[in-house]
Amino acid sequence: MRRFGQQCRGHGKVLVTVVRQTEQQLLQLGSPLVALAHATQHRLQQAAHLAERQRDRLARQLQAALETHHVISTQSRRLTQGKRLHHCKIVNAYDGTIAPILKGKSNCPAQFGRKPGLLSEPTTGFIFALRVPAGNPSDPSYVLPMLDKVQRAIDRVSLPRRLAIHSVAGDLGVNDAALREALHARGILTVGIPQTVAPILPSPTQEEVRESLTAAGLHRKRTPHQVHLAFACGYSRPVVESHIASLLARGAGHIRYKGLQGAVVQMGMTVIAHNGAAMVRIRQLQLSKRAQKFRRLLGLRHRKINQINTSKN
Amino acid sequence: MRLFRYLQHWLTGHGTRLQVADFVPKTHPLRQWADTFPWTALVAAIDRSFAQRFPKDSPRGRAPVSSRVLLALELLKHEVGASDEAICHRLRTDFAVMYACGIEAVQVDGSQEHFVLPETLAQFRQRIDEAVMDALLTIQAATAMDEGLVSPAHLLVDTFPAEQGSQRVTEATTLYKAQKKSSSSSRPLRRPASRTRPH
Repeated sequence: MRRFGQQCRGHGKVLVTVVRQTEQQLLQLGSPLVALAHATQHRLQQAAHLAERQRDRLARQLQAALETHHVISTQSRRLTQGKRLHHCKIVNAYDGTIAPILKGKSNCPAQFGRKPGLLSEPTTGFIFALRVPAGNPSDPSYVLPMLDKVQRAIDRVSLPRRLAIHSVAGDLGVNDAALREALHARGILTVGIPQTVAPILPSPTQEEVRESLTAAGLHRKRTPHQVHLAFACGYSRPVVESHIASLLARGAGHIRYKGLQGAVVQMGMTVIAHNGAAMVRIRQLQLSKRAQKFRRLLGLRHRKINQINTSKN
Repeated sequence: MRLFRYLQHWLTGHGTRLQVADFVPKTHPLRQWADTFPWTALVAAIDRSFAQRFPKDSPRGRAPVSSRVLLALELLKHEVGASDEAICHRLRTDFAVMYACGIEAVQVDGSQEHFVLPETLAQFRQRIDEAVMDALLTIQAATAMDEGLVSPAHLLVDTFPAEQGSQRVTEATTLYKAQKKSSSSSRPLRRPASRTRPH
């Protein structure tokens, strides 16, 4: 619910007058708090009998409490005045990083929690990067920080041939002009990110490939073969939902650890466990025909680890 | 006394040492899963981070539980879908879990209480921050790329919602579920079509 008096998600009845009156009373009750806190801060600085570390700790705690009070009182004032709330309102007084996750559904309770983002490989579901931000930021803001993480992983690799990110595919949520420019500047194709609801072509013509390379300004960096693969990757983008489903099956849909740090730890451990299972599947060649073909096109090695190579006689 | 019991298994040295790997077949799913991880690099990253951020371990008292065991337990929790208590209990008896935790040999000793307490696992988790998690995922991705198993050439990006556990049982959700339940129970059931045996 973005403001009182407006029928929105959920079936609950909102008693607008009662809530506004209560909010006003609470604001009135809490108004001397700020003055008292400032006075305490002043006294704390002068308290010579306390150790410096203790003084610092108390000052930090007081500052955190003041900031929380400021955020909550701002939101309460907006509610009592019937003003529209900003996108990420506070839903938990003890954790300001939780936000309502609006996913376009109506007539149901909004989910309060996190919105993790992931960057995965289309064939095997190996997840290269994960991001669990505070609140509910826009989808395009996830992409570049996650690409940086993948780049750090690439830098650690000691292969003779240089690995690089050729393309990124996503849904309409990541369709952003600034993001496209940033990706092109890094030499990454964006043909897998749709601009309209029309589906992406699985096999583009020569003309379309040339146009894509010209639009991205990557004629010298990317080959037509790589553009073909990028189109195929964008066409089969919905496969990422199965990677998410695998994480949800491991309990990623419900964060049980406390706070943002807890969410980061739980999601991270889930992703690492999922990646372990993905690597087992790759080693045992338990992959779909499509995945096997894609891997061949990418030039990934094929190892028959279960085959005994000793003499067969 | 509790601390002594905690590590009694290793301290007393009773019983015959059993080789854990002998009891876990190579085709066991947990063994195959555990063999994919670059444990040395992962544990080194954790130990480096802890050494920078937390005071050094005291030489007095019992020896700390290895980061290798704690990290493996935390990952196993998410692999098998177990709670802290459940996974710690499995560590006492399940050889596959012992193998995944890097325990090479154990001794038969009926009096042993716990290998790892669930509280120890929770404390370990509290010490892990975002930088460590990023480092672990980076190491795993780099290892997979190094082995030629995966390629970062073409990537997919997406987000998904994850509910925070604390809002599970709020008044609003309870009311919503109750209303949904009552509406579904008040709906008249479809009577199945009567089956008549053909004569």
